[in-house]
Order: sequence, then C-alpha cells, then structure tokens
Amino acid sequence: MSWSATLPLLVLASSLLPGLVIFFLPEERVATRTILNLSGAVLKLVLVGVMIRGVYHGYHYETSLALLPGLDLVLRADPLSLLFVVLSSVLWLVTTVYAIGYLEGSPNRSRFFGFFSLCVTATIGVALAGNLITFLLFYELLTLATYPLIVHRGTEEARRAGRTYLFYTVGGGALLLIGTVWLYAIANTLEFTARGFLSGLDDTCHPALVIIFVLLIAGLGVKAALIPLHGWLPQAMIAPAPVSALLHAVAVVKAGAFGIMRVIHDVYGIQFAAGLGVLLPLAVVAAATIIYGSMRALFQDDLKRRLAFSTVSQVSYIVLGTAVAGPVATIGGLIHLVHQGVMKITLFFCAGNLAETLGIHKISEMNGVGQRMPWTMAAFTIGAFGMIGVPPLAGFVSKWYLGLGALDAGQEWVVYVLAGSGLLNAAYFLPILYAAWFKPPAASWPSESSSGRCETAWTLLVPPMVTAVLTLGMGLLASAPFSLLEWARFITSLEYAP
Amino acid sequence: MNTSPGLLLLILTPLLPLLLAFPALHSRIFRPCHAALVPPLLLLTLPAGTTVELPWLLLGSGLAIHDQTDRLLLAMSVLLWGAAALFLHTTGKKEVDHRLTTCFMLALSGNMGMILATGMADFFAFSVLTGYAFYGLLVAGRDTEEIRRAARIYLVCLILADLALFEALLIAAATTGSLEFGAVHHVLARSSSIDLYLSMVLAGFALKAALWPLHFWLPPAFRSARPGVAILLGGVPVAVGLLTAMRWLPLGEVTRPDLALLVQGMGIAAMLYASVAGVVRAQPKTVTAYVVVAATGLFTFVLGTGLADPAAWSRHEKWVYILVVFLGIGPALLVVTGRWLEDHRHASCTIDNLPDTRLERCFRAALYWGTRTGTDTLPRLRAACLARASRLWQPRSWHRFLDGSERFLQRWAVAITLFLLLGVAVVFFSMSS
Repeated sequence: MSWSATLPLLVLASSLLPGLVIFFLPEERVATRTILNLSGAVLKLVLVGVMIRGVYHGYHYETSLALLPGLDLVLRADPLSLLFVVLSSVLWLVTTVYAIGYLEGSPNRSRFFGFFSLCVTATIGVALAGNLITFLLFYELLTLATYPLIVHRGTEEARRAGRTYLFYTVGGGALLLIGTVWLYAIANTLEFTARGFLSGLDDTCHPALVIIFVLLIAGLGVKAALIPLHGWLPQAMIAPAPVSALLHAVAVVKAGAFGIMRVIHDVYGIQFAAGLGVLLPLAVVAAATIIYGSMRALFQDDLKRRLAFSTVSQVSYIVLGTAVAGPVATIGGLIHLVHQGVMKITLFFCAGNLAETLGIHKISEMNGVGQRMPWTMAAFTIGAFGMIGVPPLAGFVSKWYLGLGALDAGQEWVVYVLAGSGLLNAAYFLPILYAAWFKPPAASWPSESSSGRCETAWTLLVPPMVTAVLTLGMGLLASAPFSLLEWARFITSLEYAP
Repeated sequence: MNTSPGLLLLILTPLLPLLLAFPALHSRIFRPCHAALVPPLLLLTLPAGTTVELPWLLLGSGLAIHDQTDRLLLAMSVLLWGAAALFLHTTGKKEVDHRLTTCFMLALSGNMGMILATGMADFFAFSVLTGYAFYGLLVAGRDTEEIRRAARIYLVCLILADLALFEALLIAAATTGSLEFGAVHHVLARSSSIDLYLSMVLAGFALKAALWPLHFWLPPAFRSARPGVAILLGGVPVAVGLLTAMRWLPLGEVTRPDLALLVQGMGIAAMLYASVAGVVRAQPKTVTAYVVVAATGLFTFVLGTGLADPAAWSRHEKWVYILVVFLGIGPALLVVTGRWLEDHRHASCTIDNLPDTRLERCFRAALYWGTRTGTDTLPRLRAACLARASRLWQPRSWHRFLDGSERFLQRWAVAITLFLLLGVAVVFFSMSS
C-alpha cells in the first residue's frame, strides 16, 4: 500500500488504536491513559499537517477498501474534508487536555476516554469519507460512540437525555439511509464529485431527486439541529462539559452541518440544487432556526442550556451560507464551520470551569464571578463577543462573508436575519458579561473547591485560553497568507470553477 | 512620508493602550493612562502623510495621519483623554480602579484607531471597541439604578447603531468592491444603493451621537458619572458619531435635498429642545448634557446642509472639522467647570428648592398687584389670564414640563425609535420610487 493510500488510514488509526487500548486499561493507570490520549492527539495533528501540505501541493490521498459489490469504503483527503479534519484534530487535542483535568478523580475514565477517542475517529471518518455510503457508516458510528458519553454520569436525567438523543439520531440515520439507497438506485453511484454527480440525470428523475434531497437533509438536519429536529441538543447538555464541547463544537452538530455541505456541493452540486429549487426552502429553514434558537436562548437561566440553544442558532449559519447559492456566502459558511467550533468550545470550557470550581450552573449565580475567575471570564467574554459578531473576532468575519454573499446572490433578506440574530445574540450574551464583570460578587459561591494559586486547575484554564486566543487570531489574521479564509477561498474556487 | 519612527508611532497609538488594558501591565506603570497618550502626542510632532498598510489584518487594514485635520482631531483627543485621566481614579478601591483603567485603555485605543483608520472595516472595528469599552466606563464601580438604566439605553442604542453601520458597510463593499473611504465615496455616490446606505449611516450616527430624541440616556449618565468619565461623556460618544458621519457619508459628492431637509429639521429640533431644556436646568451636570445635545443638533444641521449643497460642503469642510473639535472640547470644559462650581456650592438644586430669580420676583409682585386689582376693579378673567401668563415666566413650570417630556421620551423610547426608523424607511422608499 502506497503512502498516499496509507495516510488517510493512519489519520483514522491515530485515534482509533489509542481508544481501543484505553478501553482495556485499569482505572488507576492514569499516566498511561494520559500518554496514550495525548500522543494519539499530537500524532493525528502531525499527520494532518503532512496531509494539508500534500493537498496544497496537489498530492492525492485516497484509500479504497471493498465493502459491497459496487460500493467501496473510500477515504479521501480533499480541501473541504481537510477543513473539517483540521477543526476536529486541533479541538480534540485541546478537549483531551481539558477532559483529563475535568474528570480527575471521577469514576469510569477508561470507558469515557475510550468512547471519546472512538467519537473523534468517527468524526474524522465523516470528514474523509469519499462517498455517501462511507459517510453514512461513520455518521452512524458517531451516533453510537456519542451515546455512552452523554449518559456517562449515569443519572436518570442523563439516561433520559441519552434516550432522546438516540431516538432523534437513529431516526435521522434511518432517513439518511433511505435517501442514500434511493439515490444509489437512481444514479448508480454515490461517489462525492466536485459540482455533484446528478446534473446529467434525466428530467423525469427531478421529482424523485427533490424528495431524496428532503430525506437526506432531514437525516442530516437532526444532528445539525435544524428546527423542528433540534430537540435532543438542549437536553444533551446534561453531559459533562468536555462532552458538551465535543457535541457542540467538534463532532456531532458539525457532522450534520458538514453532511449538508457535502450533499449540496458534492452530490447535487450547487448550481443543480439551485435549479431544482431546493436551496431557498433550506435557507428559510436555516434562517428560522437562527432566529428561533436565539429567542429560546434568551429565556434560559441555565448557562449550558443557553449555550445549547445558541448552538442551535449558530450552526444554522453554516447551512444558510451553503444554501445561499453564491461563492461569497459559501466562503462564509465554510469558515463558520471552524469559527463556530472554536468560539463555542471556548464558551463550554468556561461553563465547565465555573461548574467545577465554584459550582455555578445558572446565570443568576454568576454575579461578580469575573473578579474570582478573571481569566476564565476573559475567555468567555471573547467567545461571547465572537458569537455576537463583534469585530475583529472570528464571528465577525463569518457574518461579514455571509452578509456580503447574500447581497452578492441578491438575497438581501438574509442580511436582516443576520442583523436580527446579532441583536438577539447581544441580548442573551451581554447580560451574562454584565453580571460577571460589573455586579458585586455573592458572599459565597454555590460549592467552591480549592484550586491553589490559580483561579482553577491549569488543565482547565489553559484550553479555554488557547481557544480564546484562536478566536481572536482567526479574526485578526483573517486576511493573512495561509489563513483559514484563504483555504475557504481555495475550496470555493474549486466548487465554482468554470 | 513614511519613516520607521512614524510607522512605529502609528501602530503604537492604538496598540499601547490595548496592551496596557491588562491589569498585570498597567498596575506596574506610573500613571498608565497618561503613558498611553505618549505615542499619539509624539505622532503630532511628525509631518502629515505617514501611512502604514496592514493588508493581513482583519479584512485588510491601514493606519494613517493624512493631513492637518487628522492632526487636529488627534490633538483634541489627546487633550480630552489626558484631562479625563486626571480625574479618573477617585474611588480609592483598587479593583474598581483597575476595571476603570482597563475600560479607559480599551476606549482610548478605539478612539485613536478611529482617527487613524484608513478603511471602513478598521474604523468600524475601532468604533465598536470604543462603544463597548465606554459602556464599561459608565458602569464600572457605579452600581446605582440611574446609571444602570442610562447605560442600558446607551448599550441598546450602540448595538442598533452598530447593526445599521454593519449593513452600510456590507452595502458599500458589495457595491464598490472596496473598503477604502475615498474609493467607496466616489463609487457609492453614483450607485443605486446610495439611499439605503445614507439611511443606514444616518441612523447609526443618530443612535451613536445621542441625537434628540434619542438623547435621553445622556442627562442621567452625566448626573451619575464619575468626573473623569463625565469629561469623556461630553466628547467621546458624540465624537464617535460625528466622526462616523464625516468619514462614512459621501458629503460633497452627493445631493439629497429631501433627506437633507429631514436631517436639518432634526438638527434644529435638537438645538431648540436642548437650548430650552438646558437654560432652565439648575444642575451644572445636567446642563452639560443639554449642551452636548444642542451641539450635536448643530452638527446635524451642518450635515444636512452638506447633503443639500455639496459645493458648499467642499468649500467649508475644514471648518466643520474645527467645529467637531470645539464640540468635543467645549462640553469637557463645561464638565470641569460644573464640577468645580458644584464643589464650591456644596449643594445641588432640585426643582422644588430652586432660588427665585429677580424676574420671577418681579412677576410675582405683578401677579399680586394684578390679582388685587382684578378682585377690586378688573374682571376675574383678566386676573386669571395674568396669573396664567405669569406662570409661563416661572422657570420651575418649564422645568416640570421638560421633566415630563423627558419621562415621556423614556417611556416611549422603543416606539420613538421605531417611528424614526419608519421615517428613515419612508424617506428611503419615497426617494427610490
């Protein structure tokens, strides 16, 4: 097997193998587990770096394994898949460090980190999938790997959230399967192709293609938390903070949004999908989700629940950017895939720090917490301002390209949706910042735990600081050479090449 | 004329305050607020025409000190922020002072950046930084209901203004493909999007500059703000609004008589209202707020004139910048004087303990005479008319009337804002049709 065929498998194996070993490690082998976790994450990052360099210079990395007659399991590195792979790999490393600190001393850590690694393996598989059937396999594996993480605490509430999660995602997976099989029956291929593979089909197939589109988007929309399929996400916030970070920023919702991108870009093709008339309704659903999610977030006192509804809203920016057919909006959608991940993981890390260190779970308990935990709240402030779209943070760059793309595509209404959402984002994030920085602190915190000289353990403090700096850096250096924005432009130029 | 020290100073002018915003840094420096003003002060000594291009920053940025007007604005800002820094730390509480210093540094960085920014995106970023940091300055260590309320209204106005300016920014970029002020003005003035663009910029200006009737957060903010913050309150939000209007509007290149009339009308109304309200207010702190509102009205009137007569604007543009400088410094001087007067009076006046003026005493005597005369020789109607007319001369009647109208404006703030936006929309649609 050549290097170009081995590399995608190695990237996958760098999290799968440590994960499998960790399952069989006794609980007390903390050091071995930590080394396995971190070395796997660092190795993956190095391999992904090699892959990016190769793809940038025109190398082709593809692994193909026979699955069924006429259907192969294909792993392929293309510019779009690498965008998601980079996001997952970087944030996996950061989340692993955080999870090590967060779960220190708690039971069932081997089980947790085993499934944690499996979850990232499935995400990388989703990103590298070269056809719809490979995508489907890893997408379902992701469902199964995430469930034990959601119910990790073992409480009745966690089990209930897990059941809801399974109900929604297995249902969504079934719709995705039906759509995939039907599509294969019509097109006789499921290979992801630049600008899609359906435009050559006969006009008589178009009604069926519209129905298949609805099935695929509904299946993917469950994980992407499009309304009315978003119900599982706010309930799943019962999971530990690293899992919430994984669900909201790295893996699950991103897999859904990324899948929608894949279907529109590489199955239907943007031009063909626009011709079928399926993109405008999708844009409307995404816009409605953006507003609805923000409005629900406004009335939550539970911090993680507010952040969960914020995710419902923010992930739909990615879908909106894809559905507004135009190169500039596509850039906006692509960069928001990464930006939202980095900003949201910052917020969840901070929420986890507040809960672990001071026992704060509700916004009404956050008065003056900025004085007690200034670094955590500084990171939270950057994340929140990023979500509002305040320049020069990452969220501003996303909104800029989404808005510009909407005007470019002649869909001015999207700009008003962005404005409304920005207003609502400010309405539900700024009161938190005001309470944390400007209100006098409470006499005592709900349950304060000692953390030495620092405001909290360094394993909990460093990850949000790193992601906050990334949030600032991705906005400030948006136009720098080799920036994420440049990569998104590169992907878009391939999609819209004449 | 680009020299290495010049480039360094250009970058340090907004960057040094940003760095000094960290408590760990500013707590180790003697007079950090004044230290942050050293780079802009030195920049004033360099010749105009120094530019630094930063194409990798944000959406492509640049900083420059183009001409004498930039230097004038910079000098005014150094003066204003320097004066405010003298009065900033009066709480005696270390934590509050740290927070005040952090917000001061962030707002200063934004203000300096706005003056030096060469592109619309950087200008927008700096103005947003100034706006939010200023909110922090208002509320830091002042936990009274009045200041919270004023700051909340300010924040809502700020967010709405930023949304309007973001929309304007998108229109400019989509229409012209550029974010450089010069290129945008030239192309936009000839495009079909100009009306929507103008409406958005003017809405942003009105909200940021606390233009009447959106000024109602300003008097309570002046009443409760710390001396250092009050000095900035007189200059900074207004200067941000004015600078936004000056830099973003293609004045001198576009003629819009209908819109100009509306803008002039708003300006005149603001001046009239603020003049009457300011004259009858006895508290020096609140008087300054009305001076600011009147000054903003004056500038709005000038803006309207610019929209009506581009040639006149081009001829007198430099004078408008000088006007901006005086509008910035004037209220600050008033704040300092007002505080001094108050310190020496040891008591503030309210509506009900206002001292009688000589005019009032004369009219009370006339009223007494009139009533007596009416009871004895004239009809009762004449006496009643005299009594009513005399009430019009009483300052406290006007005081009550204006307080009532203030309360009305606050109660109907949202409705008034929507009404104004509706007005902008009507003007826009009538002009497009």
